[in-house]
Amino acid sequence: MNRNSFLAALTVAVMGTGLMIDSARAQEPTLASVAQATIDAAELEVNNARAAIEKGKELIATIPEDSPLMPDVAQVVQAASENWKIAVDSLQGAIDSASKIDGASNDSIAADYALLSKVNAGVAVSGAKVVQIAIAYVEAIATEKTESLDVIRVAMQDALAGSSQVRFNYDRVKTLIAQKYSK
Amino acid sequence: MNRLSKLILGTTIVVSMAAVSSHGVDQAMAAADLAEISAISVQAMANLSEAALSGDVEAIAEMNKRADAIDAAIAAAQESFAALEQASAAGDEAAAQKAADDLKDSLQKAQDALNGVIPEDLADAVEAWKNSTKNTGGGFGQPYDPPNMFDVPWNTGGARNFYQDQWGNLFASGRTYGGGESDGTPE
Repeated sequence: MNRNSFLAALTVAVMGTGLMIDSARAQEPTLASVAQATIDAAELEVNNARAAIEKGKELIATIPEDSPLMPDVAQVVQAASENWKIAVDSLQGAIDSASKIDGASNDSIAADYALLSKVNAGVAVSGAKVVQIAIAYVEAIATEKTESLDVIRVAMQDALAGSSQVRFNYDRVKTLIAQKYSK
Repeated sequence: MNRLSKLILGTTIVVSMAAVSSHGVDQAMAAADLAEISAISVQAMANLSEAALSGDVEAIAEMNKRADAIDAAIAAAQESFAALEQASAAGDEAAAQKAADDLKDSLQKAQDALNGVIPEDLADAVEAWKNSTKNTGGGFGQPYDPPNMFDVPWNTGGARNFYQDQWGNLFASGRTYGGGESDGTPE
């Protein structure tokens, strides 16, 4: 085999490997399908939070107005309302980002949209979970399960801290991606 | 090497580079992992509040244990992210890659802990840390060591005498009534 034949064979081998990698990639879940799965999971949690809010409305009506825990109820309801808004907005953000994956001009931009969608979905999930914890707190007051209030109160505080960490990191992801394209 | 060979070799290199494209460590991806771990911790808190509502003491203890393990994973992940930032700023690609791998590892541990899979060494470490900070009623160097009000700091006799003299002078300067009463008393 002379040098030219060897190089030609090498080219064919490398291109063949590339094709094999491409076909293997075709079997892997695409960025869009992974993003959609994450959005579905977030949507489920947001729907659970929506159901919890409906339940919470009924529960609040059963708490006597002169209850000493009424200020607590007001506080958690406010936290729930803020997080509900965050959850809904972030879910929409995740859907918007995911819708841009297929139309992206290159793989790198598509991956960044997928990443934004994933983190937005994470923000939505954590917001929805905070709402669920808040309603659990209201439920404990309404059903007079006062022994569980201390545990849920601490869980609520930790969840609020965790949720703000998720949002902080979402902002960090956005900034890092923006920096990538502003260079 | 003739022109055709050079052309083929060039094509080969370009194709190889396209097929095996190597990226640097993506900090945005690492930050996304960090966000995911925090989201896991929120989920753990939701599970804990659900257990609290059910009143099942064993379930509460289990959920607390999982939350502790997730907290440990978060702490490790934050350290890894800081290491990643430093390594990236210093241009140390290998160290940055290692930090990114460690972060992924922490994310996996947090996910496992949420599902109830907690490595024994981590559970022991968390338990040991909790015991180390438990209020054991004090003792020298222990948490919540109460101050000893009868303690006389070393070599402070002169300062105490000085302040006592000051008070004595103030007391002595007060007006006295009848049988030596003063309008300002040490009490």
